Amino acid sequence: MTAETLDGAASAPLAGVPNSLVRRLGRALPALPGLAVLLFLFLVPMAIMFVFSFWRTNNDFRLVPDWNLDNYARFFLEGTYLRTFLKTLVMGSLVTLATLLIGIPFAYFLVRYTNRWVQRAILLAVIVPFWTSYLVRVYAWQAILGEHGALNQFLMGIGLINQPSTLFNYDDPGVFVVLTYIYFPFAVLALYAALEKFDFTQLNAAQDLGARPDQAFRHILLPQIRAGIITACIFVFIPILGEFLTPTLVGGAQSSLIANLVVNYLRQAQFAEGGALAIIIAAFVTVVMIVFRKSLRVEDVVTSG
Amino acid sequence: MDELTRQMHRREFLRLAGALGASAGIGAFLAACGASGSSSAPAASQAAPTTAASAGPAASAAATPGPTGTFNWLTWGDHWYQAEMDKIAADIGIKANITSFSDNIDAYTKIQQVGGQVDLVSGDALWVPHYYQSQLIDPFDINSLKVSSQLFSIARSFEIWTSPAGYLGYPNGWAPIQITYDPAHVTSGADSWQLLLDPKYKKRVVVEDQPVEIMAYMGKAAGVKDPYNMTDDEIAKAKALLIQLKPNILRLAPQATDTVAALKNGEAWIATINLGADTSVMDQGGPKLTTFTPKEGSIGWMDAEMQVHGGANENLLMPFLEVHEQAEYVAANFMLNRRPLFSEAAYKLLINQGQQELADHLLFNKPETVLTMTLKGPGTSTQKVIAAFNDVFGA
Repeated sequence: MTAETLDGAASAPLAGVPNSLVRRLGRALPALPGLAVLLFLFLVPMAIMFVFSFWRTNNDFRLVPDWNLDNYARFFLEGTYLRTFLKTLVMGSLVTLATLLIGIPFAYFLVRYTNRWVQRAILLAVIVPFWTSYLVRVYAWQAILGEHGALNQFLMGIGLINQPSTLFNYDDPGVFVVLTYIYFPFAVLALYAALEKFDFTQLNAAQDLGARPDQAFRHILLPQIRAGIITACIFVFIPILGEFLTPTLVGGAQSSLIANLVVNYLRQAQFAEGGALAIIIAAFVTVVMIVFRKSLRVEDVVTSG
Repeated sequence: MDELTRQMHRREFLRLAGALGASAGIGAFLAACGASGSSSAPAASQAAPTTAASAGPAASAAATPGPTGTFNWLTWGDHWYQAEMDKIAADIGIKANITSFSDNIDAYTKIQQVGGQVDLVSGDALWVPHYYQSQLIDPFDINSLKVSSQLFSIARSFEIWTSPAGYLGYPNGWAPIQITYDPAHVTSGADSWQLLLDPKYKKRVVVEDQPVEIMAYMGKAAGVKDPYNMTDDEIAKAKALLIQLKPNILRLAPQATDTVAALKNGEAWIATINLGADTSVMDQGGPKLTTFTPKEGSIGWMDAEMQVHGGANENLLMPFLEVHEQAEYVAANFMLNRRPLFSEAAYKLLINQGQQELADHLLFNKPETVLTMTLKGPGTSTQKVIAAFNDVFGA
C-alpha cells in the first residue's frame, strides 16, 4: 500500500470512528440478504439432506433415524451407479470439449474480426435462447432429431439418406447434441469475456519473432484466456453432472445419466436413498471446483478482471 | 330433479332461474369455444358437451343454500375444468383453491407434512385406505350426499374404501393400463404383455416414465399376484422381463401426451396407455390403433376425493361435492378427458347425447372391471423395485 493510499484512507469519512460492532454490522448489512439466501436455501437444506442420507425411508414413506451407511454403500457396491456416474463424467467431458472447440473460434472471430455493434448483435443472438424455457428448447429438439423430424426430412430431401436415420433418435448422440446446444452460450460468454481483454498484437509479435500461428495460439493466446476456459468448463461440466431433463426428453431408455437414477428415488419419496446419491455427486462437484480453483493462478484472476 | 324442485322455496327458485340463465351462457360458450377446460386437461381440444352447463348442477346447487367460501383442493388436473369451477362459484359461492400434483406419493407426502391446510385431496385405489390408516383423512357417510344416488351402485360399496366410520372417499374415475398398437406394423391378435418384449419391435415401444408401475406390469407379465408388494424372487422375475423390454423402448415418456405424440407421428408402434389414450391419438389424426387388456391381467387405478382430517373448511366439502359430482359436470369431464367415471347418471346422459359408442368403448358402462384389476397402491417393495429399475436402466 502506498503512502498516498494511506493518506487517502486517513482522510476518508469514516476515519477515526471506532471499529465498533455496530459499524461492522452496518458494513455487512447489504450482504445480509445474500447470506440469508445462501444459508437458508443452500447450506441448511444441504445439511438436512446430509443427515437424512444416513437415515432410512420406511414403508409409510417417512424418514426414520435408523443410522446406516447402506445408502452410500449402494453407490459403490452396485455397479450400475458407478458405471452411470462414469458415463455422466464422459458425457460432461465431451460436451465441455465440444463447447470449447466450437466456442473458442466463435468468440475469437467475434472479438477480433467484428466491430462492437456486430459483437453485441451476435452476443444477443447467443443469449436469446435463454428467454425461452429450458423445457421448450429441449422439446423443440425432439421435433428436429425425431424419426420424422426436420433433420431427417432435410437429409432425405437432399438425397443423402433414403429412409429416416435413428442415429440421433432418443439415444446418447441426441443427448450430446442437445446438451452442447444448451450449454454453448455459457461457454461463449465466459470465453468472450476473456478474449475481449486479450491484446491481439501479441500474436503478431510472436509470429514476427518466428512462431508459427499454432505456436502463437498455444503459447500466447491460450495461457492468457486460461481463466475464461476454466470458467467455461465450470459453467458447462458441473451442471451436466446434475442433468436429468435432457436425457429424459431426448435420451430414450438407453441414455440415463446419474441424476436420472437419483430422481427415480426422489420421485417415490425415497429421500434418504436419493439424498445419499445426491450428496456423493455434490461431494464430487466440490472436489472438481477445488481442482479448478487451484488451477487458477492469482494472475489469472487479476487478468480476468 | 323433480323431487328437488318440489322442495324449493320461492327464493331458491329465483336463484335457480338465475343459474339457468348463467348456464345457458356458459353452455353456449363451451359449445363455441370447444376447449374451455383447464390447460392441464389432456384432451382439452375436445368440446365439452353443452349439457355441462344445463340446468342440472345449478338446480342442485340452488336447492339448499349453504356455506360459502374457499377450500383447498389437492388434485389432478383432470378432476375439474375451469368453466365448471367458475359456475359452481357463481351458483353456490364455493371456490376451490386448487393445487395440482403428479403422483399419489407426491400428494401423500404433502398431506403428511401440511395435513389440514388442505381440505380435499384426490387419491388412487389402495392409497385411499393408506391415507385412512395414517389418520390423514376422515370418512363420511356417502349416502348423505344426494348426488351419490347417481353413482353406479358398485362405486358406493367398494370394500377397500369402506370403514366402520364411513366411506373413505367420493368415487371419481378409473382406468386400467392397457396396451395399444398400430396394426399396420404389429402382428394382430396380440393379447399379452409379451408383445412389449418381442425383439421385432426394437425401439418401437413407448411406456410412461413411472418406474414402480413399469415394474408392476412386468410383475404381472411374470405372473406375480401382488406386484406392488413383491418378494425378492418376484422382483428378480420382473427385472428379467424388464431387461428384455429395455431394447424395445424408444423412450420413457414423461407424460401421457408424449405417448400420444409418439403414437400419432408413427415413431412408436406399441405403447402402454391409460384407457382412452388411443382415442386421443386417433382424434389427433394418428393411425387407427388396436387396444387390449393383457390376458395376464393389468394394473389400474380408481380414484376418489378424500376429506382431509382437520381441514379448516370441512363445511364446504359436501356442498361442493353435491354440485361438482352432478351428472352434467361428470359427463362434460368425460368428454374432455376420455376415461370412465363412476357416475351412472352421467353415462345415461352421454347416451342421450349420442355418445354411447365412445362411452362404451371406454368401458364407462362396465365399472365392475375395476374388480379385475390389480389396483395401484403404496407398496412395501418400492425401494427394491426402484433399485432393480435403476440397475436395468442405468449404464
